[in-house]
Amino acid sequence: MIALGKMRGQNLILAILAALWVATIIGLSVLSPAMFNAGTVTNILQFSTILSLVALGQTLVILSGGAGIDLSIGGTVSLSAMLAMLAFKAGMPIVLVPPACILIGLALGAINGLLVTKLRILPLIATLGTLFIYSGTALAVTGGAAMSGVPAWMLAWGRGSISSLPLPFITIALPAFGIAGIVLLWTAWGRWIYAMGFNERSARLVGIPVDRVRLLIYMISGGLGGLGGLISLAWLGSGRPNIGQNLELESLTAAMLGGVAIVGGRGGVGGVLAAVLLLVTLKTGLLRLNVNTVWQVGVVGVLLIAVLIADRLTTHRR
Amino acid sequence: MIKVLPRGAVPENRELLLLGACVLAIVLFAVSSPFFATADNAVTILRNSVELLLISLGMSLLLAMGGVDVSIGTVMGLAAFVIGRLLIATVDPVLAAIAGILAGAALGMVTGAVVVFGRIPAIVATLGLLGVYKAAIYLALGGAWLSGLPPTLTAMLQVRLVGVPIAVIVIALSYGAIWLAMRRTPFGLHLLAVGNSEEKARLQGVNTKLIQFSTFVISGTLAGVAAVFYIGTYRNVEMTIGSTLALDAIAAVVLGGTSILGGKCSLLGTVLGVLLLRILQNGLLLIGVPSLWQTVVTGALLIGVLSIEGLSGRLQLKFAGATQ
Repeated sequence: MIALGKMRGQNLILAILAALWVATIIGLSVLSPAMFNAGTVTNILQFSTILSLVALGQTLVILSGGAGIDLSIGGTVSLSAMLAMLAFKAGMPIVLVPPACILIGLALGAINGLLVTKLRILPLIATLGTLFIYSGTALAVTGGAAMSGVPAWMLAWGRGSISSLPLPFITIALPAFGIAGIVLLWTAWGRWIYAMGFNERSARLVGIPVDRVRLLIYMISGGLGGLGGLISLAWLGSGRPNIGQNLELESLTAAMLGGVAIVGGRGGVGGVLAAVLLLVTLKTGLLRLNVNTVWQVGVVGVLLIAVLIADRLTTHRR
Repeated sequence: MIKVLPRGAVPENRELLLLGACVLAIVLFAVSSPFFATADNAVTILRNSVELLLISLGMSLLLAMGGVDVSIGTVMGLAAFVIGRLLIATVDPVLAAIAGILAGAALGMVTGAVVVFGRIPAIVATLGLLGVYKAAIYLALGGAWLSGLPPTLTAMLQVRLVGVPIAVIVIALSYGAIWLAMRRTPFGLHLLAVGNSEEKARLQGVNTKLIQFSTFVISGTLAGVAAVFYIGTYRNVEMTIGSTLALDAIAAVVLGGTSILGGKCSLLGTVLGVLLLRILQNGLLLIGVPSLWQTVVTGALLIGVLSIEGLSGRLQLKFAGATQ
C-alpha cells in the first residue's frame, strides 16, 4: 500500500517537474530566442553532471533518515580534486589521479559516517563542521590558487561528447543513477534504506544493521563527491579549490524538488535527476540572460523553501 | 517566578574547563609570539569578539531550543547595510542604530515564520534563506562595497559610561536580560522544554510555536545589535560580510556546553567559548598560520569537542531517545 502511494507520488512529481521544465524553457526562449540549440543541451548536461552525482549522494543520505543530511558534499568535491592534484604534483603517476579522487572522496565520506554513526553527532552539525574543514583545507593547501596540469587524455574524456551528449554524463552520471535506482527498488539493501528512513526503530527491531548501512551511505555520498571532483578536473582542466561552493544548497534543493522527504524514507532517484536538469536549465538560462551568479543562489534558495512549504501543505491536507 | 531548574539546565564544570583552556592558550601564544601578550592585542581580541558574542547569545537560545540558524551572518550583513545607507543619508546615528536593530528583528521574524509556520527543519530553511539573503546583500550593494561611511556612529559608540566602553555595557545588558529570561521566567523553562522534546512540551500546554518564533526574533534582534557595532568598528559593508559568523557562533556555543540536541543551555559557557575561539584565531595568525586555515581550525574545534562528548557517551542516551 505504501509502495502504491509512493509510486503515485513519484509519477506526480515527475509530471510536475516536466511541466516546470517545459515552462522554464518556453519562458527563457521567449526572453532570449537564440538560446536553445544543440550546444546548449551539451552545456546544460555538462553542468548537470557534477550536481547530479552530488545530489544522488545527498538523496541517499536523506532517504536513510536519522535526520541525515550531508552539508560537506561541496567541500568533498573540492578537496578530493585538490588533494589528487597535489599528489600528482608530488610525483604520483597521472593514471592514479582518477582512483585517488574517488578514494579520497570515500575517505572523507567515511569520516562523516563515523562521526554520525559511532560518535552520535547530529548529521547537520557534524557535516557543517566537516564542510568548513574540507572546503577550508581545499583553499588553504594552495593558498586559494587553481592547480593546472591535467593531461590531454583526461580532457578528451571530460570535454568530449557523443551526438551532443557529454561523455562524463553518459559514462558516469547516467550509470550511477541507473545503479542507484535498481539497488533502491530491487535489492534488500535498497529496501533497508527505505525502511531505516521510514521508521528507524522498527528497522533496528527487524534486524537491519542500521549503523553499518548508514556508514556505507555516507561513504557512497563521499565517493560520488570524489567522482564529481574528478569530473571537474577532466572538464575544467585544472583543480579549482572553490569548485564545490554552494553544492550543498543546490544538491539539497534538487533532492527536495525531486520529491525526497526531508525526514527520509520517501522519494526516488528519477525525480532527483529531473530536478537537477530543471535547476541547471534555470541556472544556465539566467547565466545567458547575464544575471549575476549570486542571483542563482537566491533563486535556488527560494526554490528550496517553496518546495518544502508546498510539500508540507499537501501532506497536511492528506 | 520559577526557582526550580530542570535537570541538565547547567552543565557542570564546563565553564572551569573552558577558562583553563583560555588561560592555557594565552600562555602558549604569549610564549610563541612576542606580539600576542600586549595590551593592544588584548583590546583587538575583545573588539573582534563583540559581534560574535551578541550573535552567539542568540545562537545559544536557538540551539537550546533544538533549532539553528546558518543565515545569521547575512542577517547581520543586511542590518549593517540598512545602517550604512542611513548614515550616508546623514540620518542621526541613534536613529540609524535603532533602524538596524529593527531590521535584524524583522529578518528574525522572516526566518522564524519560515521555520515555524512553514514547519521546515531549521537547518534546511536557514540554508535556503542564506542563499536568499546573500542575493539580497548583492542586490542591495549592487556589486560595490559600501565604504567610507560617516564616522558619526563610531563617535557615538566611543562614549564611555563611568569609564566602561559602551560595547561592554550592551553585552552585559543583553547577557543579563537573557539570563533573567532563561532562569527566572516561564519563557526559559518553556524554551528548554521545547528543546528537550517539542511534542512533550506541546502536550504539556506550552505554546511551542510562539516560543520558537520568539527565539528566532531574539536571535535576529541580537544580530541587528551586532550590526551596529560592526558598522561602528569597520565603517564598511562588503559582499562577504558575516560569511563565517554562523559557523563561529555554532562552534562557540557548542564549545560552551550548550547541547546541539536542545534542552541544555550555558550562557557563561558561550561567552567563554567565544573568547577561546577568538584567542585561538588571533594567536594562530600571530604565530604565522595563514588566515585561510581559520575556518579549518574552527570546524576542527567544533568536530573535536563533539567527538569528545560523543566518546564520553554523554550524547548517546539522548540521541537514542531523540530518534525513536
